[in-house]
Amino acid sequence: MKIRRKTMRAEVPSTAMGDIAFNLLIFFVILARAQDDSFLKWQPAHARNLEQAGPSKVSVLIDAESKLYLNGRQVGAAQLAKQIGELLGEAPPGQRTVLLKVHRDAQAMRFEPVIEAISEAGGDLVHILEKEKE
Amino acid sequence: MRFHRSTKLLVEPSTVTTGDIAFNLIVFFLVCASVQPDSGRKQSVPRSEQQEKEKAKVEHVEVRLTRTTAAINGDVVRARDFVPRLRALLAGKTRPEDKVVVVRSDQETPYSHWIAVTAMIEEAGGIITILREEEREVQLPR
Repeated sequence: MKIRRKTMRAEVPSTAMGDIAFNLLIFFVILARAQDDSFLKWQPAHARNLEQAGPSKVSVLIDAESKLYLNGRQVGAAQLAKQIGELLGEAPPGQRTVLLKVHRDAQAMRFEPVIEAISEAGGDLVHILEKEKE
Repeated sequence: MRFHRSTKLLVEPSTVTTGDIAFNLIVFFLVCASVQPDSGRKQSVPRSEQQEKEKAKVEHVEVRLTRTTAAINGDVVRARDFVPRLRALLAGKTRPEDKVVVVRSDQETPYSHWIAVTAMIEEAGGIITILREEEREVQLPR
């Protein structure tokens, strides 16, 4: 007499699938932020009458140590205009916004050449500032 | 005496995934909280080539900045008098190229001071142009 082996159905538990998908989504969203410079240390200057900067492809930052960054990568001031120009490409006016984030104590000898480079590249300059408390 | 055994079972929602949900919520709010400041002020600075052409034609108002002070055409002006004074100087000028205000800063002028003064220039109706002193390397004879 032959004893038949019982066949057991084995299924992969799919309870955590949603969680895994959500985690992956967040992971890739964070990676996709190409111009991420949130890891850099700087304090914005204060001003009144600010407006939303809107979307931008280019972000230039001068940190607390007066180092210059373009979209989170450290660059030299000499090549800045050329690199901004390449990033902006043939974008029409209104879509050539360049965000400028300068540490509040940075000196003119450091930030003025940067402003000049943005102007030279044909960027629409937006100073990123913090609203002054009344 | 007879006891009736209740056949109703206590049904509890599954708590296995609570940890996962909490973790996801933490990650989500952390990502939301790490948003950088995104409000600011637009500023149009004319290209240097244009300003050089125009420089010869018109006599512009010059604002000189040091670490803590601002001077209009050589006179140090207090912050509260700055806008009325500059507005008066620009009053008769109608063409945009006449409203150009040349900003000349000392090398150690802090950004916060520069931003405050340029905001006042724009408030007075001026168009900002930066005049930078070029750094030149000079070789000393041996």
